[in-house]
Amino acid sequence: MSRYAVNSLLYRLKKDRAFRERFLAEPASALAGLDLTEAERTAFLARDMKQINALGGYLHLVMSVPGLAAHVSHPERD
Amino acid sequence: MGRIVFAGAMSHVLDPDYYQEVCGLSGRRKVEACMTEIRAMGERLLARRPDALVVIADDHLNAFSFNAVPALCVRIGRHVDRMVQEEAEAFDRALEGLPERYAVHEDLANRILEDGMTAGFDLALSWEAPVDHAFLSPVMTLHGMQPVIPLVPIWVNCFVAPQPTPARCFAFGRHLARVVAGGPWDVGIIATGGLSHFPELSLPRVGESDTIFDRKLLHWLEKGEHEPLQALTVGELDKAGEHEFLNWMALIGAVTPAPADVRYFGELGRINLAAVEWRLA
Repeated sequence: MSRYAVNSLLYRLKKDRAFRERFLAEPASALAGLDLTEAERTAFLARDMKQINALGGYLHLVMSVPGLAAHVSHPERD
Repeated sequence: MGRIVFAGAMSHVLDPDYYQEVCGLSGRRKVEACMTEIRAMGERLLARRPDALVVIADDHLNAFSFNAVPALCVRIGRHVDRMVQEEAEAFDRALEGLPERYAVHEDLANRILEDGMTAGFDLALSWEAPVDHAFLSPVMTLHGMQPVIPLVPIWVNCFVAPQPTPARCFAFGRHLARVVAGGPWDVGIIATGGLSHFPELSLPRVGESDTIFDRKLLHWLEKGEHEPLQALTVGELDKAGEHEFLNWMALIGAVTPAPADVRYFGELGRINLAAVEWRLA
């Protein structure tokens, strides 16, 4: 597991629109050549932000990548 | 001789739409109540006509990527821009519609940086880092429609382990107080973030704010009991979702032993909202 590889990929997905669009269109190709473990690659291909967070992805990134963010809501009693 | 003329700390996603989306109407009402108190704090801040506003906050992996993550960083230069995020999600949307550029109080920022280096604080510096919601949401809520006081943004690494310790942040706050006392400026100082949310930065634990821990912190602040705060560990803060209290620790160091008034505390599972103002001599 590489905290750096997971988070630099999340950061790029958040900040680099062209890369994000490429990932959304051709995920396996976009991830090719990146230094990810099989578990990390599988989690990204599945867009499984919960698993990406469990593998070391920083919470604020997994909650804010446009179009891929983990949405968690907690409606309170009014 | 300069003075700290205002000190306050507050939550930093001040966006009713966001809280309505993630917490329902109750969330909207609570953040609006919190914002009402912060606006009143802003009136007191502006009435004291400070020359500069030091803003101690954290980066949410926006300004600093993984090429470098400074423990403590002072923003120097003449201007600072707000972070721009295309297709913003969640808390990033709190920035939308805010002005793009803000004046930096260059002389005070340079004093904090240069005197810090000679006083034993190996501070990072940045001419370019933009500021995200952690800085601008409170700054704009405090100011309302009034012109924004020249800022000195200071980042504390609250999230990327290993973080600076609470005691170290407090000591850095003592340095801020010495710089202000040695200069000619009247200075406001705010710390942002919190209170408890996102324990252990774990997605399954989003929604588990730690109200007991928050009440303990607020009790110490109201009493001006700052020794137990300095004994806290980064691990304790992480477990209780109090990561951003490191920002508050720097402010507390700057104003110790002043007691504080809790202007607002509102419980939400998502995050406990707070606004606190210190009673300065």
